[in-house]
Amino acid sequence: MNWPAFVLTVRLASLTAFILLLLSVPIALWIAFSQRRWKFLAESVIAMPLVLPPTVIGFYLLIAFGRGTAPGRWYEHVMGTTLAFTFQGLVIASVLYSLPFAVHPMVAGFRAIDQKLIAAARTLGACKAKIYWRIVLPLAWPSLITALVLSFAHTVGEFGVVLMVGGNIPGVTRTLSIDIYDQVQALNYGSASQTALVLLVFSYLLLCVVYGLNSQRALFWGGK
Amino acid sequence: MLDVEFQAASGVTVIFGPSGAGKSTILQCLAGLLRPDSGRISIGGEMVFDSSRKIDVPAQMRRVGYLFQDLALFPHMTAAENIGFGIRVNGQEKVRRVTEMLERFHISRVAAHRPEEISGGERQRVALARALAVEPRLLLLDEPFSALDDSLKRGIMADLKQWLASTGVPALFVTHDRSEAEALGQRMLLLHEGKLVGSEEF
Repeated sequence: MNWPAFVLTVRLASLTAFILLLLSVPIALWIAFSQRRWKFLAESVIAMPLVLPPTVIGFYLLIAFGRGTAPGRWYEHVMGTTLAFTFQGLVIASVLYSLPFAVHPMVAGFRAIDQKLIAAARTLGACKAKIYWRIVLPLAWPSLITALVLSFAHTVGEFGVVLMVGGNIPGVTRTLSIDIYDQVQALNYGSASQTALVLLVFSYLLLCVVYGLNSQRALFWGGK
Repeated sequence: MLDVEFQAASGVTVIFGPSGAGKSTILQCLAGLLRPDSGRISIGGEMVFDSSRKIDVPAQMRRVGYLFQDLALFPHMTAAENIGFGIRVNGQEKVRRVTEMLERFHISRVAAHRPEEISGGERQRVALARALAVEPRLLLLDEPFSALDDSLKRGIMADLKQWLASTGVPALFVTHDRSEAEALGQRMLLLHEGKLVGSEEF
């Protein structure tokens, strides 16, 4: 087991999941409750990582991070190096890559809330913020957990984006999934097998949490 | 298709008609939960909706209390929290008001319980107390008593009548049950297939 890679992977996934939780709540609230006609355009952008090859996302991010763009140059000016091949660059890439995995469960959870409850809150004088904070989020908390777990798991499973943007630098951007690839290339099947097994069991346990939480959904209140 | 026009004075006005006649739709439009295609709605002298002048006061600002048919109590909150939800003040004053409502409707003993833990009659009273705790200027009741048996109904209606009489808040009460209409209402509007076809005084 490549422990530096393990720690790196957990750090990356945790940071990504946490950032996504904060970022996705307002996005998901907007998607679930907004009536704008052009909403489908925004929804399509968010869903892109689901259909694009990871290498495409990685490629565009590499360009964006580099010196050829204004943000890339600005970052280099401030931090002394571009975002390419850095842990910070990986975090940004992971957040974008796992965005739909956080947003979609939340949107589903928010939409599943009984509309009557929201109507009741409105007749009681509640503004949108109060409705979101005291009715929607508390009742949809299983979907928030699902979003957190899925974005964590999805980040652990990244390969293409991480390779393109991270550059496979040991201790900095070499995650577990890349490490397995390296081990197989070097014909160290024993090591690869060990790491792969750990990831397999770990992923399964995470999914048990997600499905277990959602099967209990029938016992929770607020659903339609 | 709904096409109605009426003026409701103080006291309880019953909107009576068979299912599908459009009774709930009227209430939803009055509360601001549904937008009529055209027309005007004025509550307490304030024009809250006027399609020709593009006036549409949002539901949260109309101060219209609404009692839903299935109550719509917040399942993750206790009875006291439900009742206190719409109250704007905080601290001692809020506690005082919630306690007063709990006592007025005889539900003090369920204050700390969630809706799923209390009986149908008690839930009904919590829903009523919640709608009235925000001191609305109009109360809308959408067949709220249909799931209760007669003795429970009588008790709640008596409490409601007393509250309405003491505060002078007008109420619109939708039902297809004639006995409920007579027990609670002062006058009745008959609705049939989206049109008002008559009225009666009690």
